[in-house]
Amino acid sequence: MVMIMDNVIDIQNVNLWYGDHQALFDVSMPVQKNKVTALIGPSGCGKSTLIRSINRMNDLIDGCRVEGRMMFHGEDIYGPGTDVIKVRKKIGMIFQKPNPFPMSVRDNITYGPKIHGITDKDKLEEILEKSLREAALWEEVKDRLDKSAMSLSGGQQQRLCIARTLAVSPEVILMDEPTSALDPIATSKIEDLITELVKEYTVVIVTHNMQQAARISDYTGFMYIGEMVEFDKTDKIFQNPSKEMTDRYISGRFG
Amino acid sequence: METESIQTESRFHSDTVTKYLLMGIAAIAVSIVFFIILFIFGNSIGAITDVGLTDLLTGPRWRSSEGLYGTVPIITATLLVTAGAILFAVPIGVAAAIFISEVAPSRFKSVLKSISEVFAGIPSVIYGFFGLTVLVPLLRDTFPSHLLMGYSWLAGSILLGIMALPTIISVSEDALSAVPKSYREASMAMGATKWETTIKVVTPAAISGISAAIILGIGRAVGETMAVMMVCGNSAIVPDPIFNVFSRIRPITSTIALEMPYVVIGSTHYSALFFLALILMIMVLAISMASKIIVNRTRRKFGETENKPSLTGIIVAKLPVPLVNGFKNALVVAGLFLIAYFISLTFSNSFGAVLIGISVTVAIVASSLLWLNRLKNEGVSDRPRNPSEFIESIPVKIKAVSRNIITYALVITVVFMGASLFYDDVVAFMAGLAVAAAYVTLRSVFRRIDSRVVQKVAHTALLAVMIFAILLLVYILADIFIEGLPMITWDFLTGYPKDAGRAGGIYPAIVGTLKLIVGSMVIALPLGMITGIFLAEYAKDTPFTRTVRNSIDILNGTPSIVFGLFGMSAFVIYFGFGNSLLAGCITLGLMVLPVIIRTTEEALKAVPGELREGSMAMGATKWETTVKVVLPAAIGSVITGVILSIGRVAGETAPIMFTAVIMYQRVMSHSIFDPVMALPYQLFYLATEGMGSPAMQSAVATVLLIMVLSMFTLASVVRHYFDKRIRW
Repeated sequence: MVMIMDNVIDIQNVNLWYGDHQALFDVSMPVQKNKVTALIGPSGCGKSTLIRSINRMNDLIDGCRVEGRMMFHGEDIYGPGTDVIKVRKKIGMIFQKPNPFPMSVRDNITYGPKIHGITDKDKLEEILEKSLREAALWEEVKDRLDKSAMSLSGGQQQRLCIARTLAVSPEVILMDEPTSALDPIATSKIEDLITELVKEYTVVIVTHNMQQAARISDYTGFMYIGEMVEFDKTDKIFQNPSKEMTDRYISGRFG
Repeated sequence: METESIQTESRFHSDTVTKYLLMGIAAIAVSIVFFIILFIFGNSIGAITDVGLTDLLTGPRWRSSEGLYGTVPIITATLLVTAGAILFAVPIGVAAAIFISEVAPSRFKSVLKSISEVFAGIPSVIYGFFGLTVLVPLLRDTFPSHLLMGYSWLAGSILLGIMALPTIISVSEDALSAVPKSYREASMAMGATKWETTIKVVTPAAISGISAAIILGIGRAVGETMAVMMVCGNSAIVPDPIFNVFSRIRPITSTIALEMPYVVIGSTHYSALFFLALILMIMVLAISMASKIIVNRTRRKFGETENKPSLTGIIVAKLPVPLVNGFKNALVVAGLFLIAYFISLTFSNSFGAVLIGISVTVAIVASSLLWLNRLKNEGVSDRPRNPSEFIESIPVKIKAVSRNIITYALVITVVFMGASLFYDDVVAFMAGLAVAAAYVTLRSVFRRIDSRVVQKVAHTALLAVMIFAILLLVYILADIFIEGLPMITWDFLTGYPKDAGRAGGIYPAIVGTLKLIVGSMVIALPLGMITGIFLAEYAKDTPFTRTVRNSIDILNGTPSIVFGLFGMSAFVIYFGFGNSLLAGCITLGLMVLPVIIRTTEEALKAVPGELREGSMAMGATKWETTVKVVLPAAIGSVITGVILSIGRVAGETAPIMFTAVIMYQRVMSHSIFDPVMALPYQLFYLATEGMGSPAMQSAVATVLLIMVLSMFTLASVVRHYFDKRIRW
């Protein structure tokens, strides 16, 4: 394992159950600051479950139980004194299908800041432009900020969702297969965006697309049936994996 | 070996023949709508020629004894009682829906939904009875200086509000639950609380569905007859002042039900009552169109395709654009005029009201045209073509400010109106200001409080509303059962009535209700199920099919009193069946037809397509597939729907009032051309005219309730049984 000096998130021996069904087995993984960490593996391997448990989105599912330690800057995300709202503010999430609210572009972006108590109009305008620029969407929507977000294309909608998350200034952005519903051109735009974003933020991405992981990530974790089979620098995983199972998956012999 | 030819042997493919047969039967639904409109309109022509349309619509007095048939007080009463009901029902209903969909733990959801279904299943005459025995005395004792007897607009509105609750709750709940989970996740993932997500994302996303729920609730309230008639006091006056909720009023439905029994058939009075029914129909049609438009808008919002137009839609689409736009503008202008007219009627005579109506309309139209022109000059936007574009063209800031102004003005006005009934105007106005100020302060306070505390407060409030609604239901049921159950003996159930129904048994009423159920099902079941099968399995998306669907929607929304009038004029008089079991059964059958069609169609559509493919792939015809594979798979839901409509038939009063019932029968006749006694009418008769029979009333109410509620229980048992047996 790589020894990490600057871990934003440190997942240590996490087990997770949906009711009686155990979905994660003793998973450990570090997430480094200003790096892209990718999770790969066949469908049902638990990569989405893992990423959703980082900002406690799994709390929304009845009967979901987590054991082990999941540290954010040394504080346990699942600790008894932890405020789930603060966790989610610091650790944002982008979903598989773009899910803008059926509101105007403006209202979509200012939703988060308003929730977190910002009422000043100028400040909100500032956040609006800054987040849209960061998400490389500003030029395309600046003339239609008051039009419904549903009128945007799929790729634009996903970048809008990214901008919406940026608007609450998180430290970490979790992305759960963010390009699986998009066409290749929109996908490459999102990938470029991710490469830009890691200068300011930390990104964890789940992807079913190995080339994508190879292209954009710094670290990669390969999961299989709820276990973290191998975690290492992306180059290492793709060129010289230590485990045979990883090698077989990377080279397309199963999965 | 010789292979069999695959060429067809007959020119007529058996499935094509079936299809056209089914189409013919489905067309019956369309013809029923046609005949209802024909009979209602045809019978109201007399009043239009005798009295004149202007006098009918603008006459300030309705006094049949003096030959005065001005519908203003009657229509005003319908509008007022409905508005009051909505004011009462919307906050409670939407809060309960939010509670069920967003707050309640998932295992309670189905329980809470069934509770609201029980609300919906209680017959309106039972609600009327509850209003008469509980609500009216309660109001009288609460406001002794304002109410002599308790009969009032207020009582009517509260009662109608309670009756509209189940519609509002269940439709809003569906809309809220239909909001994609992804919206909730996105909001929660940004650190919003559950409550913030509910109020700022889920509810706005469901707002079209909630509006549709409110409109459906309005439709229910507008068409309701028995309950309003029993508690409103029935004076055909316009309240003075217009917001005096303690005034007695008499809505359209009550007027028809009250006067029809005493009217000379074919007279102006008779025709004027049909004219009222015509207006009621137009109102209900407008309401159902409004809800359709809203539903379409929702579909567009979620990126689904709109409903395609029916025959009428196609005709409209073929008309030249300026004509259609002109018509739309005319509708807007007419709407503005009518609103201004009715409001100014409250403080002016009808001539003055017309003048005020015209000037207000001109002022609004002129100022909005000027506004548009300015926008155009500033190059802000092209001239918007319709109201919604116009609203979109208003800058965001102005919208926000005007929204605030409207909200505060509304709060102040409502509080002022309420308070001025008790105190003098100055005090009332101060009260309005105080409440508005409190509202502003509270809002800013809430903004500063921790969002989790806000969530706690909000969820507790929602829970309180839910508990209130449940207690209300328990109270209504308990009140009737406690009085009535001890009365129920074997002799009561099997004996004949004595002393004009004040004593003795109710055997003929029970048998009569059962006969009405059987008879109406004989008519509605084959027609309804076949039409349902046609719509689900055979109908392609053609103008004909859409017209059938629209007709079913219209039938579904038609108030039961209109069915009563139609049944009377068509079957009792025109076909000469007389006041008879036959006329009553046909009328009730037509009334529940849309319910049976809908449930059949929905049940069949829920059957997965693979089943059909499996059967067709073996060479079965479509009809064989439908009857032998699809229908058996869907039979549980179909039976559930049928049982529910039996419950409805058992409880309906308005459609049989002038078609089938009598209040007293010492010897039962078994001819279908003789009238019958029926439980709901018996309750109505005893409660309103049978002085000195309180225990009898509760007993009849109890029997009726047990009958209807056992239908509901049976329906849910059937549903569970089949749910368990069949899974996909």
